[in-house]
Amino acid sequence: MATPISLKATGRSKRRLAMNKAAEGGAILAALVAVGVLVLLVGSVFQKALPALNWDLFVKGQAVFGETGGGIAPAFVGTIMLVLIATAMAVPIGVLVALYVSEFASKQIASQTRLWLDVLNGFPSIVIGIFVFELLVQTKLPILGIGHHQSAWAGGFALAILMVPLIARTAMEVLALVPASLREASYALGVSKWRTVLSVVLPSALGGIVTGTTLAVARAAGETAPLLFTCSIFGQVVNTDPSNSVASVPVVIFEYSESPDKNLNAQAWAAAFVLITFVLLTTLLARLVLDRSRRKLGAAA
Amino acid sequence: MRKSALVLVAILATALVAVGAAGAKTGKSQTTVLNGAGSTFVSPLVSLWTPAIGTAFDYTVQYSAVGSGGGIQAITNRSVDFGASDAPLTTDQFTACNGCVQIPWALAGTAIDYNIPGLVVPKNTNLLLTGDLIAKIYMGQITKWDDAAIKAVNPKATIPSVSITPVYRTGNSGTSYNFTDYLSSVSSEWSSKLGRGQSVAWPAGTGASGSAGVAGAVSNTAGAIGYTDTAFAIANHLHFASIQNAAGKFINPSIRNIVAAGGTISSVPANGELHIVNPSKSYPTAYPIATYTYIILPLKTSNAPALRKMVFWALTQGQASKYTAKLWFAPIPKVVLVASEKALQGISS
Amino acid sequence: MEASAPPEILPRTRRPLDRVGEKVFYGLTAFAALLTLAIIAAIIWKVIDGAWPAIHTFGISFVWNQTWNPVTEMFGARVFIIGTLVTSFGALLLATPISIAIGLFLSELAPSAIKGPIGALIQMLAAVPSVVIGLWGIFVLGPFMLQHVEPPLHDYLGWIPIFGGTPQQAGVLPAIAVLTIMIIPITSSICRELFTSVPRDVKEASIGLGATRWEMIRGVVFPYVKAGIVAAITLGLGRALGEAIAVTQVIGNSLRDFPVSLFGQGNTLASQLAGSYQSAPTNIELESLVYLGLILLVITFITNLTAQRIVHRFEKQHAGAR
Repeated sequence: MATPISLKATGRSKRRLAMNKAAEGGAILAALVAVGVLVLLVGSVFQKALPALNWDLFVKGQAVFGETGGGIAPAFVGTIMLVLIATAMAVPIGVLVALYVSEFASKQIASQTRLWLDVLNGFPSIVIGIFVFELLVQTKLPILGIGHHQSAWAGGFALAILMVPLIARTAMEVLALVPASLREASYALGVSKWRTVLSVVLPSALGGIVTGTTLAVARAAGETAPLLFTCSIFGQVVNTDPSNSVASVPVVIFEYSESPDKNLNAQAWAAAFVLITFVLLTTLLARLVLDRSRRKLGAAA
Repeated sequence: MRKSALVLVAILATALVAVGAAGAKTGKSQTTVLNGAGSTFVSPLVSLWTPAIGTAFDYTVQYSAVGSGGGIQAITNRSVDFGASDAPLTTDQFTACNGCVQIPWALAGTAIDYNIPGLVVPKNTNLLLTGDLIAKIYMGQITKWDDAAIKAVNPKATIPSVSITPVYRTGNSGTSYNFTDYLSSVSSEWSSKLGRGQSVAWPAGTGASGSAGVAGAVSNTAGAIGYTDTAFAIANHLHFASIQNAAGKFINPSIRNIVAAGGTISSVPANGELHIVNPSKSYPTAYPIATYTYIILPLKTSNAPALRKMVFWALTQGQASKYTAKLWFAPIPKVVLVASEKALQGISS
Repeated sequence: MEASAPPEILPRTRRPLDRVGEKVFYGLTAFAALLTLAIIAAIIWKVIDGAWPAIHTFGISFVWNQTWNPVTEMFGARVFIIGTLVTSFGALLLATPISIAIGLFLSELAPSAIKGPIGALIQMLAAVPSVVIGLWGIFVLGPFMLQHVEPPLHDYLGWIPIFGGTPQQAGVLPAIAVLTIMIIPITSSICRELFTSVPRDVKEASIGLGATRWEMIRGVVFPYVKAGIVAAITLGLGRALGEAIAVTQVIGNSLRDFPVSLFGQGNTLASQLAGSYQSAPTNIELESLVYLGLILLVITFITNLTAQRIVHRFEKQHAGAR
């Protein structure tokens, strides 16, 4: 009887297998590190936020200097206002741009528009802050004559500039997935193009557009840099007039993070907790919905 | 997919309603809002004044402590109703501001805070420092707390061998102006190499933003030294040094000693600019790093009546000890008060 | 996809309202597209316009002039440009191998049951606002590095100048760490998509020839997606270059020469803007700050455009191959 062939690797093969193991181990380790960082981050936000997470945080303004207590109600109200203003400006523009590209533009122009949207998306947000400062805060806007001081309008406008490329890109992607058969069926019934778009194409892409918007909202709600120069002069009480500057959660976190006052540090953590919860939940939800609507549209095609 | 879209629309709608509700609950649309920005030095005092002004006149004062430089920039652009600065406007800035007036409205000292673990000083005293020592520390020439020069002025203290981290303000700040103004007046080397300004080319140390940031950095860094207005030092339980004045005495930034420094003013020039750092030796109790801080107003403004009332309130009732004392601000002396009130009359709509 | 036009046989003139509607609809969408382009143009124009007096005063030598002295009103960008490049490329150096490894893990190694959740978790890391990462950097990461990372680096590698200085809480190293955390989700998710895009038959052929998984990755997957990885890294770079808030919270914001040691304090274009723009007391300082913004804009613009070009080429190539 011949000696059985050993399946054990020896020599060169052994080295190759070891190399393979090492590489695989490295990849697993890297993934663990990334997940670990997220867990650590969320964990420490949660742990440090706990002492300051109370009802006062949501309903009170900042305590007077040197006293404890108080809350950041003005920042919550302000962030909601800023995000609403930004969304109201960015959604129509974003969706219309996407419609232009998917329905009217030639291939050349479509890819150019896409490119410039990506360029806009890549602009540092601090530069957008400078732009809006120079346009609306430092001077009056020509012709319209509005502006000339920090306001929720100016801050919302800056956030809207960040949101437009995000919304437009997601909307484009979903619009491109709307099956041609749907459009053709509508045309066959004698429906004109614009009615087809409004009554057939847009509704079937709605899910994607809404999720794109939600993702953009999540991004805008956490942005600090564009607000620093456009909407950061605020007092200690709730302000609901958008022609005045309003407090916002990210700016308050930024200011309180550099404070020596432990009370304010704790409130910064609590604000970060609320912000992170909002952002993570909306992002997660939006991605789930987007995946589903993508799959549905994909299956229909 | 439709369903999920509906859900999201519902979420957004709820948010809208929430805002509406919050607005309905808190919105007082008739209130006059006065926006101000500038000095972090005066911000603790303004934060105490704000609710009182709200009660007295139903004005909402929104003050943002962006630093004196920012206050000057904002009022020059007229993007706020008033600016606040601890550094007087330069001639160029006056020109740029195009019809502005600066009015001294508060008086306090700049404390030199330190964080030296293991430092033992005799009871009820502080570390003693001279202007020359502070200048050398901030120039990076003295790098250890147990340097012979520091020991020499603190014969009774036990000083550990800890490296010194000077903390300075990033960005532009009136507190930096006062601090460098003082250092320039006591150290010719500082004066010629670095000069006075709202921000200088700091040769050593670490930067922090705002008075709060400096106080934070000092309290978090072993071996740190910083400069903040006294209120921030007190509120954050920082130790601060006694500084030698021109008369050779080591002086605290207590209210009495700030009053003494403020009292070195006998008349107010037309532009309102007052200098009280390093007073002469005929004022033996004067703290050497004290400053008047200014509110900067446009002479022509639609909010003139409200601004006049607010500033008049700050100059009179606002100087009461229930606001100023616990922040170690000193009430402004009569001669300055009279001049400030007169300057205030120039504001019109 | 190609937009299909309504067939011409149908009487399009049937409803006059339709013709108007068509025009209005087209007009609206075209207007939105033009408005977006106009805003991009306005941003570029406003930044150049705002910086113009400083450009006029200091000229191009502003870029390499090292002083930033508000007292003498002499301004130069060198410190900030170096700081921006050092922190961004430092972060890239750390983030690239980790991102590629995560991409490989998620596309090749992970059981499908945990692929989704871990992928989602890393995506969520991308959604954490930078101010929160900065807050964490100040209170958790900074002190941790000061106590547990910087001392050993200093003790064992102190002879290398970059680890030579005294460990401090705020400084260049924490800034690099914060940026690394911000880049990883971006680059790793692109890497994952790239690796997944490699055709199965190519991979299987390689395994069939007896290659180990690592050899398959090195020999087949990497060459296939090389350009794509470069684009992913470039996109991550674009993100790091422009980050203002988280960096300004941890870097120490020094105006001196950029330190040789990573423990020292530095500054970047974006963080200097965040820290000083609102408080600039003189016009020339403000204009010089906008000049910094212009330099930042140019650098990120070139970076992103390069990334887009690579992506474009990559997509074209592989669309042709498939």
